[in-house]
Amino acid sequence: MPLIDALLANEPLLSILRAAILVAAGFVLAMLASRLVRRLLGPRLSAQTLQLARRGAFYGVLALFLASAMRELGFSLAVIMGAAGVLTVAIGFASQTTASNLISGLFLIGERSFEIGDIIRVGSTTGEVLSIDALSVKLRTFDNLFVRIPNESLIKSEVTTLTRFPIRRFDLMLGVAYKEDINRVQEVLMAVAERNTLCLDEPPPLFVFTGFGESSLDIQFSVWARRENFLALRNSIAAAIKAAFDQAGIEIPFPHRSLYTGEATRPFPVVLVDPPDRQSPE
Amino acid sequence: MSQVESRTSRTDWWRPRRVGDGRSLELQLGPLSLAVGRSGGAWLVAVSREEARDTASRARCRVRRRLPEQFEARYVQAQSAEWLRFEPLLADRPVVVRPYRPVFLLSHEEVTLYLSTPVFIRVAAGDPPTVLREIPSQPMSDTWFGPNTRSGELCFAGRTHARHRLEELPVRAHRAITPLRIRNATETALELEKFSLPVPVLTLFGAGNGSLWTQQITLVREEVGDLARVAIEGQPPDIGQTLERLAGPRQDPERGNLVLRTFSALFGAGGH
Repeated sequence: MPLIDALLANEPLLSILRAAILVAAGFVLAMLASRLVRRLLGPRLSAQTLQLARRGAFYGVLALFLASAMRELGFSLAVIMGAAGVLTVAIGFASQTTASNLISGLFLIGERSFEIGDIIRVGSTTGEVLSIDALSVKLRTFDNLFVRIPNESLIKSEVTTLTRFPIRRFDLMLGVAYKEDINRVQEVLMAVAERNTLCLDEPPPLFVFTGFGESSLDIQFSVWARRENFLALRNSIAAAIKAAFDQAGIEIPFPHRSLYTGEATRPFPVVLVDPPDRQSPE
Repeated sequence: MSQVESRTSRTDWWRPRRVGDGRSLELQLGPLSLAVGRSGGAWLVAVSREEARDTASRARCRVRRRLPEQFEARYVQAQSAEWLRFEPLLADRPVVVRPYRPVFLLSHEEVTLYLSTPVFIRVAAGDPPTVLREIPSQPMSDTWFGPNTRSGELCFAGRTHARHRLEELPVRAHRAITPLRIRNATETALELEKFSLPVPVLTLFGAGNGSLWTQQITLVREEVGDLARVAIEGQPPDIGQTLERLAGPRQDPERGNLVLRTFSALFGAGGH
């Protein structure tokens, strides 16, 4: 009993105890607040906004309780703030990269050019966004690798969001032999697109003659598809075009080379020889 | 095209049938051939389509004494009930219908066009029925309907002759006909280039001759601006036959939303 009385009379120990209880309670309450946010807003918000709201609730509640704990220990909040300001400058100089990533992260989240669950392409990396964190963005590539991209490099470089709009266009570059009639080629291609149910009716398929190539008439044929069907369309349309060209007798040429022997050229002498197994015995 | 096959009844294919073990129920509806066989505790589903023949008017449903030879999928039902139903339904997305040739509606004129869209078949087994799958009677191409490629709606694409005389309509058992009443109250002619038919909010009816119908949609092009008044009738259309309600709307029609749609939203950007 005297021990407890002595402890209770010990003011500094008591305040440390109170501070510890405040921090612990703050931690528990912050977790509860984060869960409450998820339960209340979960169905209404996107994964990205939900994660932001949850973190906001968690750190907000925790910060309040930490500040109270500090006061309990006798620190003046104003002094702490001032010290934090000085500290920030010092840390800022010491860890420029981290600070830059942190600020970039804020801009990335504010700009909302992509969200959790989107598929983005950065440089040569394409993958699904798993999380947008303070320092980096985490991706899962299609061959199931985990890629961490620093926020700073995302801010600086070109990022393509593949899942932003509901429909996508596939540009197929192909060449046909010089002997073919371009209008007929166009008709065959349009018929292929019309028959393919994955290919959208509207916006209509696009046929562009891109030029007289080295050994072919170069054509761009662009078709639209739902984002989800993009890969399926890409494969099915190529196969269907090959089949339709074969059926219509349209040639997809190999590279041609014409050889000349000089200015006053004469044709190369060419002699036709039977293959060895068909040559007569004599 | 409009000859009716008199040998088999065209109207009762959507009623539930009793299918014994080792037997199958076959449906030939337009280009679609569908067979569902009952084997022990499982349903075997076989789907095939005939595109080449002119099969538009056929509608035949019968129980066969054998199982389908090749099947696509097997649906296992622990308590194998013997009731099977092929239920017609309207498509689950709006259908963008375009006339084969341009149609113009002159100023201060009013017309009823008959537009048809392929139906889906829902295969349901047991009592109470459990849905096995839904099959479109005819494969439909996807299309995009909206002011640009960023905002809009994914739809099915369809073509129409946009017939305006009831007696000219062919009976095509796999397509549901929607009467579209259009009034042009303006001074300029209206080109009907394409129309987004909101089939998911319509109800499906069946007539005595096997034809399928939806309610009438009424559309008035007003003088002021781009707005059009759209109304979906609550009653089945008046075609001189008794109609039986087969399936309700897939989505709740949001009345306000439909009424306030702009003309360009219904007819596409270049449609007026």
